[in-house]
Amino acid sequence: MSRIFILTPLIVLLIICIFSLTYLLSGKDPNKPPSALLNKDVPIFESSSLYNLKDVIKTKDIKNKKTLINFFASWCSPCKIEHPLFFEIRKKHPELYLLGFNHKDPTADAKKYLENDGNPYHFVGVDSDGLIALEFGVFGLPETYLINEDGKIIFKFMGPITKDILKNEIEPLL
Amino acid sequence: MKSNHFFKILNIGILSFIFFAFTIFANENIDERVKNLTLELRCMTCQNQSIYDSDAEFSNDIKKIVKQKLQEGESERNIKKFLVERYGEYILFRPLMNYNNIFLWSFPFILLIIGLFFVLIKSKGNKV
Repeated sequence: MSRIFILTPLIVLLIICIFSLTYLLSGKDPNKPPSALLNKDVPIFESSSLYNLKDVIKTKDIKNKKTLINFFASWCSPCKIEHPLFFEIRKKHPELYLLGFNHKDPTADAKKYLENDGNPYHFVGVDSDGLIALEFGVFGLPETYLINEDGKIIFKFMGPITKDILKNEIEPLL
Repeated sequence: MKSNHFFKILNIGILSFIFFAFTIFANENIDERVKNLTLELRCMTCQNQSIYDSDAEFSNDIKKIVKQKLQEGESERNIKKFLVERYGEYILFRPLMNYNNIFLWSFPFILLIIGLFFVLIKSKGNKV
């Protein structure tokens, strides 16, 4: 009985060590904190189309459909790296709604960028003052969010998405 | 008649002076509050720099939103809550007083107390 009493603190310590080691070895980058909005409702937004200011998209417009939201800009070089992948996503998952938010970009530059590199998005919303990005907790471009049919953010990625991220993290959620 | 006119102008002058003095004071007060609040916020795109000290675009956006919200009369607590909801607790240099953090801070002491308890039981057992 007394042996159990002595061993208990050691067992507790061992469990703590295992938890700490698992976290350290999980490859999580402490400089990339998890999104505070993960598993929460998508923020309320309203944005005009880059091509027609009268064409507006609102939060309620993406309800009941899986949506991939991508914040990009013509001045953001990592955005160019991930850009071709969105064509691949659109081709492979036609049911997925691709919403691009053009962040703090002159309209002409944004249009030129999408003209040169192609436009993979179903809708390109303008976020000229960065307020939509602020609502989403964006702090660097590019950032990508996956929203489920219930309007909850189920995935967030900071930085350019890669084929591996698409295959291992995004596609299992689709 | 002339003196009446003079006093009217003097009164307008004094009121204008008070109005402008208040405006300047209010703006300085807001700037001071923006400074104090943004000194407590972490620039998420910098290396351990406060929002106030940083000139990064992210920091400038946050400074702007903090100033706007203070001007609208929002409390500092509400502004912090607004930012934590979007960027997480990581944006605060000083962590929040919530159950998770209280547990984290008190956990070493809980372990110590449990340890002392076991040592006490063991030493009593040895005496018997």
